Amino acid sequence: MEKDARPNWDSPMQFVLACVSYAVGLGNVWRFPYLCQMHGGGGFLIPYFIMLLVEGVPLFYMELAIGQKMRLGSIGAWTAISPYLGGVGLASVVTSLYLCLYYNIINAWSFWYLFHSFQSVLPWAVCPINANRTAPIEECERASPTQYFFYRETLNISSTIEENGGIHTGQALCFLLTWVITYLCVVRGVQSTGKVVYFTATFPYVVLFIYLIRGFTLHGAVNGVKYMFTPKMDQLANPTTWINAATQIFFSLGLGFGSLIAFSSYNQYNNNFERQAITVSLINSGTSIFASIVTFAIYGFKATINYENCLERTRILLLNTFNLAEDTINMDNVFEWIEKLNATYPEQFNEIANDTGNCDLEKELATAVEGPGLAFIVYSEAITNMPLSQLWSVLYFIMLLLLGVGSMLGNITAIITPLQDFKAASRISSELFNGLVCLFCLLLGLGFTTTSGNYWFTIFNDYGATFSLLFIVLIEVITVSYIYGIKRFEKDIEDMLGHRPNWYWKIMWVAISPLLLIVLFVFYIVNYIMGGTPTYQAWDKEEGKSVLTEYPVFGQVFIALLLVSSVSCVPLTALYVFCRKRKHGKAHKQQHALNAVSA
Amino acid sequence: MLDKILFLLCLASALADERCMPDTPHGFQVRLSIKTALGDEAYVWNENEMFLFRASLAFAMRNHMNGQQFEVSNIIVCNETMRVSFWFIVTSPLDTSQLIDQENVEAAIRQSRNRINSAFLLTDKTLEFVDILPTLATLYTHPTPPWLIVFGVVMGAVGAGIIIMLVSSVVQKKRKTNGKPQDKDDDEETRVKTVENGDAHDGVHNMSFSEDERFTKM
Repeated sequence: MEKDARPNWDSPMQFVLACVSYAVGLGNVWRFPYLCQMHGGGGFLIPYFIMLLVEGVPLFYMELAIGQKMRLGSIGAWTAISPYLGGVGLASVVTSLYLCLYYNIINAWSFWYLFHSFQSVLPWAVCPINANRTAPIEECERASPTQYFFYRETLNISSTIEENGGIHTGQALCFLLTWVITYLCVVRGVQSTGKVVYFTATFPYVVLFIYLIRGFTLHGAVNGVKYMFTPKMDQLANPTTWINAATQIFFSLGLGFGSLIAFSSYNQYNNNFERQAITVSLINSGTSIFASIVTFAIYGFKATINYENCLERTRILLLNTFNLAEDTINMDNVFEWIEKLNATYPEQFNEIANDTGNCDLEKELATAVEGPGLAFIVYSEAITNMPLSQLWSVLYFIMLLLLGVGSMLGNITAIITPLQDFKAASRISSELFNGLVCLFCLLLGLGFTTTSGNYWFTIFNDYGATFSLLFIVLIEVITVSYIYGIKRFEKDIEDMLGHRPNWYWKIMWVAISPLLLIVLFVFYIVNYIMGGTPTYQAWDKEEGKSVLTEYPVFGQVFIALLLVSSVSCVPLTALYVFCRKRKHGKAHKQQHALNAVSA
Repeated sequence: MLDKILFLLCLASALADERCMPDTPHGFQVRLSIKTALGDEAYVWNENEMFLFRASLAFAMRNHMNGQQFEVSNIIVCNETMRVSFWFIVTSPLDTSQLIDQENVEAAIRQSRNRINSAFLLTDKTLEFVDILPTLATLYTHPTPPWLIVFGVVMGAVGAGIIIMLVSSVVQKKRKTNGKPQDKDDDEETRVKTVENGDAHDGVHNMSFSEDERFTKM
C-alpha cells in the first residue's frame, strides 16, 4: 500500500505557496497595469474587486475542492465526477500543453536579458555602430535602442509570419536552459516542487518591494502614480471595462488549466482549502495592485525623462537656429521663448516649427503598453536611465524569471499529474516520465526560437488558451452545479472541511458564475466574429516600428485548429464514452442472457 | 609706396573676409556648447580662446598635409555669434589667395578631432563641426561574449543539480530493492488485500459506490 500512496505536500504552507507562485505570474506585472490605465485608473479597482468576489474566489474554491476530494489529476477527477465529461479534463490537459509550449519562451527571453545585464554598458542602452563607424545602425536609429535589441538581437525577427529563417542559437540555448530548470523543479514531482516554491513565491515580493522604494525615489515617479490613481469614473459605464475586469480575474487566477486540481490533489483530505482559496485569491489581486503601483512609478519616471529630453532637444534647436547664448533658454522657459521667437522671427521659426512644441507630458504618460513589450522594451528603457542600471536590470529580470518559472511549475504539473494517474504511465519511473514530457515540450517549442517564432508565439498567446478556458470553466461549473449536483458537492465539502459551504458560495456556483461566464463567452465569440480577419503586429525593419498585418490563410487555419482542438475534446470524449458504454451494455446483456439460459 | 602697400593689404584682408561667410563652400561652421559641457566651471569665450582654436586648427592642418607650414593667420574666422558659433575657412600657407578645399579640411579635422576637443575640454557633441560626422567609437567587442560565460555557469550548476537528483533517486531505489526481499511475504498479503478492495488508486471505484445510489430505484 505504502509504495502506491499518493505523494503529498510536506505542509499546507507549501501548497499555498505553490498556488501563489502559480497564480502570481507575468500577467500581474504586464497586463493589470495596462488595464488599469486603459479603464480609468483607480476606478478600475471597483469592477476588479466585484469580479473577484463574484467569479474569482468561488471558481478557485470549486477547483481546489474537486482536486482535494478526488485526489486525481484533471482527467481522472472529471471522469470520476461524470464519465461523460472526462473530456473536460482532457481539454484542460491539451490547453496546458499549448501553454507549456509557448510560455517558457518568455523565460528564455528573461534569461537572455539577464545574462546580457552583466556588461558595463547595457546593450539595449546604446545603438550599435554601423560598419563605416559614421552613425548608429539605421534600424536602431529609426526605432529605439531597446526596441532594436528586442526585435533584432533577441528575436532576429522576420518581417512577416510567412518568412522563416533559422533558429536563433542564443535563444535556443536559453530555451534549453529554462526547460532544464523546469525539469529540475519537477523531477521528483511534489517533493521537489514543494521546496522550490518557497523561493519562487516569496522572492518576487522582495524585488517588487525594492523596486517600490527605488521607483518612488526616481525623478518624476509621482507623476505616473498620480496619473494612474486619478479615477476616471466615466469608464465604469463602459461595458468593456467590466468584461476586461472579469477576464483579467479569470486568467490571472489560472482557472481551468487543471493546475489547481493537480496541486490540491496532493493535499491531505482534511486540509482547510476554503481559507486557502480566499487567501491565495486576495494575495494574487493584491500583488497585481502592488505591481501596478511600481509599474506606474516607473512609467512616470520614463515619461518625465522623455519629456525632459524632448524639451532639451527643442531648447538646443532654438539655440542653434537663432544663435542665442547658451544660458538664455533653460528648461523652464522653453515654451515662453518659443512664443517670443515665433513673434519676432516668424519666417525663420516656420522652418523649424514642426520640430518644436510637441513635448507633452500627458501624451508620454498616456502611451500604454502591455505584454512582452512592456516587460522587455519599456521597463528596460526605464532601467537604462537609472544609476547603477546593471544591478536594477539583474534584479528585475530575476523577478520576471521567478514569476515565469513559478507559473510554469503549475502548468507542467497540470500535464504530468493527470497523465501519471493512468496505469500505463505509472510503470515508468516518475523522473523518466517528467523528463520525457519536458523533452517533448522542448523540442516542439524550439519552433518559437526561429525568426518568425515571435509571430507564432503571439498566435498561441492570443488564441491558445483564452477561448478554450472560458469554455472549460463554464462546463466545469455547470457540471458541478447541475450534473454532479450541488447537494452532493456540498456533502463532499462537509466531509473534507467539517462544515457546509456558506449560502454565498452556493449562489455563486449555481447562478451567478455560470451566468457571468456565459456573458464572457458570448462576448468573446461576438468579438472574434466582428473583428474581421485576425491581425498581428509585424515588425517593419525599414520603418523601425510595428505594422498591423493580417494573418495569412494558414495562420487563420492554425488559429481555428488551436481553438477547435481543445474545445472538441469535451464532445468527442462524451461520444467515445457513450459508444463504449453501449458496447459494454450490449456485451453485459448478452452475458446476462447466457447466464440466465445456462442457469 | 607705403600707401599702395597699405591699400593692397586692406584689399587682401577684405577679400579674405568676403570669402568667409555663412554657407561658404570652402569652410565649416563650428558650434561650441561650453556651458552645457562644463556647467559651473565653464570658461568665458573670448579672443584668447579664439586664438587657441585657430592655433589648434592650424596644428590639425599641419598634421594632415605634411610639409605645409600652416600658421594661425591661415585660419580665417567670421560671423561669431552669442551662441558661440562661427564659420571658418583655411587658406594655403603658400598662397593666401588659395583656399584649401573642404575634403582636406574635413579629413584634417577628423584626424585630430580628439586633440582639438581636449584643448577645449569638450567632446564631439559639445564642440560641433556642423556637417562633419564624428567617427564613433565602437564598443569593445569581447572575444567571448560575456552572456555566454554567465550562461555556461548557470547551465553547469543546473546540470549538476539534475545529475545529483537523479543519482540520489537511483541510489534510493537500489536501497529499497535491497531491503525488499525481507518484505516480500508481507507484500503478497497486502497485494491480496488490495485486490479484494478493488484497485486502491482507481478513484472511479469509490465513486461508483455513490453512483449506484443514484441508479438504484428503491
